[in-house]
Amino acid sequence: MNAIEIHDLHKGFEGFFLKDISFSVPQGTVMGFVGENGAGKSTTIKCMLNLIKKEYGEILLFGKDHVEHELSIKNDIGVVFDDLHVPETLNATQLDKIMRKVFQTWDSDYYFERLAQFKVPKRKKIKELSRGMRMKLSIALALAHHPKLLILDEPTSGLDPIIRDEILDLFLAFMQDETHSILFSSHITSDLEKIADYITLIHNGEILLSESKDALLYEYGIFKGNSEEVNDLPEHAILRTRPGAFGIEALVLKNEVNEAFRLERPSIEDIMLFFVKGSV
Amino acid sequence: MVGLILKDLMTIQRQMKAQAFVLIFLLVMAIFMQQSAMLLAVIVFIVTIQAITALSYDEHSKWDKYANTLPISKADIVFSKYILSVMLMIIGLVMALPIIFFINFFTNNDTSEFFLTFNLIVTSALCLLAVLLPIYIKFGSIKGRIVLIAFCFIPGFLTGMFKEYIPDMTQTFLYLKQYVYLAPLGGLILLCLSSLVSTAIYKRKEF
Repeated sequence: MNAIEIHDLHKGFEGFFLKDISFSVPQGTVMGFVGENGAGKSTTIKCMLNLIKKEYGEILLFGKDHVEHELSIKNDIGVVFDDLHVPETLNATQLDKIMRKVFQTWDSDYYFERLAQFKVPKRKKIKELSRGMRMKLSIALALAHHPKLLILDEPTSGLDPIIRDEILDLFLAFMQDETHSILFSSHITSDLEKIADYITLIHNGEILLSESKDALLYEYGIFKGNSEEVNDLPEHAILRTRPGAFGIEALVLKNEVNEAFRLERPSIEDIMLFFVKGSV
Repeated sequence: MVGLILKDLMTIQRQMKAQAFVLIFLLVMAIFMQQSAMLLAVIVFIVTIQAITALSYDEHSKWDKYANTLPISKADIVFSKYILSVMLMIIGLVMALPIIFFINFFTNNDTSEFFLTFNLIVTSALCLLAVLLPIYIKFGSIKGRIVLIAFCFIPGFLTGMFKEYIPDMTQTFLYLKQYVYLAPLGGLILLCLSSLVSTAIYKRKEF
């Protein structure tokens, strides 16, 4: 079963469109959702959560329509945005009291365990917390009702590498249960390399690719050379080319290229740059 | 719903504490001036208007973006603000009434006059909320304030324009006075209608 299924999602704003977005997140996997700022990641996520209304298309979460079964779906998801959107005069203990009334499955013990693990002060007002602390609190809030799906919209942006690593470990622990899934939107591709099973790349409101991470990293290769050398590559093997520091760089299908060509292993960032800035 | 009201009460807690000092000052003033009606009006309005403070806090923190990811319906999110404001009004009355009866007991103010004032204050607080809440939900606190000012000027402007066509107001008021006990009920009905309008506005909003 797919935790998330999106078919032909369309949403238009002045000067920006989500164009027929389709991708799915199989249950038990982590989907990395990458794209530059303004590519449409947050808009897609907002459509999924019915924070903004889609124009047409189908969005299924746990196989159910996201508007028709909105409340039952929202019982099973945890959402983390790039900031904690709760009134700043509240503190973590007060949030526990509030959430106990919101979720039937709210687990106060688990919540306070996470706060202790992250060293988030229980009684300090949110406005007095650092950005890292606010994000950790936000994640503890998203996890404490034991959701099946986490929807994360840039949860690690603006955080230092140490905190990011701690947060990623927590997400990996969440994935120990094979019924759990994560949609992880980020432009920090190194984070996705650590935890994602699949990568979906969005650019200018369009999905450019949606594939398993291993397929991308092991089936793709980068060839660096001058234009004559690149011309020697089989044409059907070249996915994208772009000017490099010493000539031309080409993203190629590894299996379609003779072993005589020395290929480098791409990173998610390389692939993103080839698809966004390269030419066909 | 309970969670939302709890959240609002916790959010405005500090604000309420700050305003308690203002209330104590007013209480002393009211006792010296022997003006119980003024005290009632101020307490009811200060406490009731806290619902708007809660809305401003929500807006500042983009709470609605988060609240709509929780298993709470949009109608409940709006309705909770109405319940909160009526709850606050009742708290205000419970706080104010014993003090007012105490003042009246020593000053021998006319009780029937007081009943009239009480009805008018409660009704105007309800009507104020019925107008304020949809405006603030639709426009947010900054634009809402501008719309509200415009709203306040329009009746004055219209009265000025059509002064000669308006019959003697005093007569009308004297006639209406006998129905004053129905006024809070009217205010409550208006507040219910306002909640329906607000829900319709909120359902069309994007976050």
